[in-house]
Amino acid sequence: MSNEHAVTRFIEVSQLMKRYKPGIPAVFADVSFTIAQGEFVCVIGHSGCGKSSILNILAGLEKASSGVVIMNGHEITGPSLERGVVFQGHALLPWFTALQNVEFAVRSRHPKYSRAKIKEEAEQYLNMVGLGAALHKKPSELSGGMRQRVGIARAFSVEPSLLLMDEPFGALDALTRGLIQEELLGVCARTHQTVFMITHDVDEAIFLADRIVLMSNGPGARIAEIVKNPLPRSRTRETMHHEEGFYDLRNHLVDFLVRRSALVTKSVA
Amino acid sequence: MKRFFSSKTAESALRCDAETEPFTACSCGIMHFSSGLGRRGFLGGLAAAGISGTAHANSVVPVEKAELKVGFVPISCAAPLIMAVAKGFFQEEGLNVHLQKIAGWALVRDRLLNGELDASQLLAPMPISLSLGLGSAAQPVRAITMQNINGQAITLALKHHNRRDPRDWKGMTFAIPFEYSMHNLLLRDYLAHYGLDPDHDVTLRITSPPDMVANLRAGNIDGFLGPDPFNQRAVYEQIGFIQTLTAQIWDGHPCCAFGMTQPFIDAYPNTYSALQRAMIRAAAWMNAPENRLEAARIMAQPAYLNQPEIVIRQSLTGHYADGLGVVQDNPHRAGYSPYPYYSMAMWIESQLRRWGYLQRPTDALKLAREIYLFDDVVQQARVVGPLSGLQDPVAGGFPEFSVLGQTFPRAGGQAL
Amino acid sequence: MNSFSETLRAWGLTAFLCVLLLAGWYIATFPAASHSPYGIPDGNAEYQALMGHGPNAASHSEGFPTPKQFLDAAWIQLREPFHDRGPNDRGIGWQLGASLLRVALGYGLAVLVAVPGGFIIGLSPLIRRALDPFIQILRPISPLAWMPIALYTIRNAEECGIFVIFICSLWPVLINTAFGVAAVRRDWLNVAKTLEVVWWRQIFLVLLPAAAPTIITGMRVGLGIAWLAIVAAEMLVGGSGIGYFVWNQWNNLSIANVLLAVLMIGITGMVLDLLFGFIQRRLTYVE
Ligand SMILES: Nc1ncnc2c1ncn2[C@@H]1O[C@H](COP(=O)(O)OP(=O)(O)OP(=O)(O)O)[C@@H](O)[C@H]1O
Ligand SMILES: [Mg+2]
Repeated sequence: MSNEHAVTRFIEVSQLMKRYKPGIPAVFADVSFTIAQGEFVCVIGHSGCGKSSILNILAGLEKASSGVVIMNGHEITGPSLERGVVFQGHALLPWFTALQNVEFAVRSRHPKYSRAKIKEEAEQYLNMVGLGAALHKKPSELSGGMRQRVGIARAFSVEPSLLLMDEPFGALDALTRGLIQEELLGVCARTHQTVFMITHDVDEAIFLADRIVLMSNGPGARIAEIVKNPLPRSRTRETMHHEEGFYDLRNHLVDFLVRRSALVTKSVA
Repeated sequence: MKRFFSSKTAESALRCDAETEPFTACSCGIMHFSSGLGRRGFLGGLAAAGISGTAHANSVVPVEKAELKVGFVPISCAAPLIMAVAKGFFQEEGLNVHLQKIAGWALVRDRLLNGELDASQLLAPMPISLSLGLGSAAQPVRAITMQNINGQAITLALKHHNRRDPRDWKGMTFAIPFEYSMHNLLLRDYLAHYGLDPDHDVTLRITSPPDMVANLRAGNIDGFLGPDPFNQRAVYEQIGFIQTLTAQIWDGHPCCAFGMTQPFIDAYPNTYSALQRAMIRAAAWMNAPENRLEAARIMAQPAYLNQPEIVIRQSLTGHYADGLGVVQDNPHRAGYSPYPYYSMAMWIESQLRRWGYLQRPTDALKLAREIYLFDDVVQQARVVGPLSGLQDPVAGGFPEFSVLGQTFPRAGGQAL
Repeated sequence: MNSFSETLRAWGLTAFLCVLLLAGWYIATFPAASHSPYGIPDGNAEYQALMGHGPNAASHSEGFPTPKQFLDAAWIQLREPFHDRGPNDRGIGWQLGASLLRVALGYGLAVLVAVPGGFIIGLSPLIRRALDPFIQILRPISPLAWMPIALYTIRNAEECGIFVIFICSLWPVLINTAFGVAAVRRDWLNVAKTLEVVWWRQIFLVLLPAAAPTIITGMRVGLGIAWLAIVAAEMLVGGSGIGYFVWNQWNNLSIANVLLAVLMIGITGMVLDLLFGFIQRRLTYVE
């Protein structure tokens, strides 16, 4: 289904395996895929299959037990500003305001910037996610959706080549989630951002992703298949389900999650 | 039963060379003296040295160290030290003495030895115990003058007012302020005199003076041999009575010395002498009965003893309530004499040996001459000139004295 | 509204307990007719005067002071708390100040050592395990047990007092800092890592604020211990300070003044604790 020859190999993940402790089964093994520049890739899989572990390896926060990740021709060995992360929990620093949280990131990216310049930049990213009015609120004073948006603004503010998002909208209600998804898609389209995102939500994956990586159940998880999204990039949340191929894709994914994800692992193991 | 304590015997025990000196002024306690050096002799010596009798040392030799830290413990024994400050005797010698009130004898020892104090009030046995290294590392500490004589008492809890014969005291608990104190040695001698073994028949407990009074009130101890004014304080608080003054045990016994280390003397010889002169004049001033009321007033101040004046006054004048409803009169209760007699040191040494504190052989005479700087005191007393309260020293420094009827040093003993 | 009336009731109860305490004190120390115990004669008028009971003599307390006597003594001390008649006679304000200065020095030193030390221990599991036995053994030693050791080794009395404060307040700060640093959420550290934050910004902007509530708790406990220890230390080394004041008044067997000092120690300790409570509230964050 995928056509890897059509895209440049910006990120190349090959033969990744992770085992947390010797003697227990690997969380996942034999994981290989690529991400092209400007591509939006989603990963779907059941809880515990190792999605976050893969993302952390991509972020450089964890080491793979075997296998390599090549980004732009260089192996990833540690964290870097080249890869911005939106964490599964929002991971905002609670003693900072929204603005300070983003400023903290901007200063890391541009240590030479003046205080005013940093503030300006940070405000700009918060405005981008629609938080211009909540700059001076602490995370505890923000709603769940607002917090997640601060997290996204922070990740964007370091202008990463690759944006890694771990279930960024998991804790949000459907309405808020929809709004932020649209914002995210808009921003990514405008900035040609390359994104690797984890989700549990089939509709979210269809709406956002160019390609969807399906993982079988852990332990011993594998990539079951990689599905290319046939819907046009101009899709919107309202019109998406009228597009041709939407229900085929949705049924395929749901069927995978409900039925086949377990079978694949068994057959491989 | 009360033989020893009847006022008649007490008075005879108090009599201090009544044949040679008027009874009132003398509380030096020396059995007798027949000095070859009369007042004339002193003056002659002064004239020979070319020093005017009234000139002060600061006009003669400047002191090497004028700012001095001196420790004292807030008891009546500190009187000369306090007066030397309050009446300006130190000042007149060109010394600026900063008195530091110290919470106990162990601290006094530590601070003197670590140099935080230049000089300090010490218990008379301390220069000896410290120089011999008893209870601490040996350090050459000297008694550069004696501060006071007598001035202590045995105080018993009121409940024992019918048990005044020491022979009945088996099983009692007594408090003393420090091991190397005259209090300890006198109490032991007193108990032994009445047939008690101080190590087995009674319990001796080291306690600070205020704790003595509090423990007496609480019933934790039966009595104490402690410093004034705490004996009188126990009476004043209606919890104890005065069993006997130490003046009735050994009239003229030393209690507190004024001491410093030998290295200090070597480094600052003029300061040392100046301190001695000031302390001689302070002792003379204190010893004059007419000054005692003023002294009580000064010592009562918070900076010094911080005690009711009426309590201090009784302990200084010897006109006191005894706790048993009787007003007693004993002008020997407190006395002041600057002379650190060699025979005093030898008595202390003999008692330290008697009670097992000192076991290795020592040359008592040599030790006494080394630690008790009697000769220097005599010399400085000569520089100071005659003072009304000051007794002439016993030439040679070996006066005989009587402790509970025993003469010391014994005739024909090694001392003489 | 409800919490207001609740506060009012709590205050009311506090006031009631105060009155109860004072009444109990008053009754317990009500001067009984003073008769010599054990049938000892009262002596004559002169004897009574020497005992402080005469018509002209100021009366004095035997035993525990009455509330009135306490207030009189307190008034004398508090009337001029900063009087200075030489080093051996300074007002209770001076003494409190001297104690606070010592605590500030010893405790400040402890914080300066314990917070960086706690960081190192908290960040390195190896060092934590290596130092744990030392910390566990040294921690429970009481201030009074340190005193003789300090006197013997350091010698200088002033430094000894400060050392004892130091060594006693060190452990809670050290342990809490180490714990706070070790327990900082991995997410926050990961944020710092992915942002390639330089180490000193990581320490001051992430670790320190994250561990601050725990560190402040340790500092609060440490200050409490320091304040406990200073009184004991000063009673031993003397010279100045509220502990010296207690000793000096005890030497005079003036229970009223000792009581006053105890009250002042308690109030000062409470104020210090309130101060820290305030700081703690400022530094606590809501996740
Ligand atoms: N630090 C770790 N040490 C040991 N085991 C770990 C560690 N982190 C994750 N695991 C284990 O690895 C497996 C995969 O964890 P991971 O967090 O990657 O799952 P996930 O797919 O992200 O799940 P979810 O959808 O619930 O977030 C789990 O079984 C988990 O218990
Ligand atoms: Mg996960």
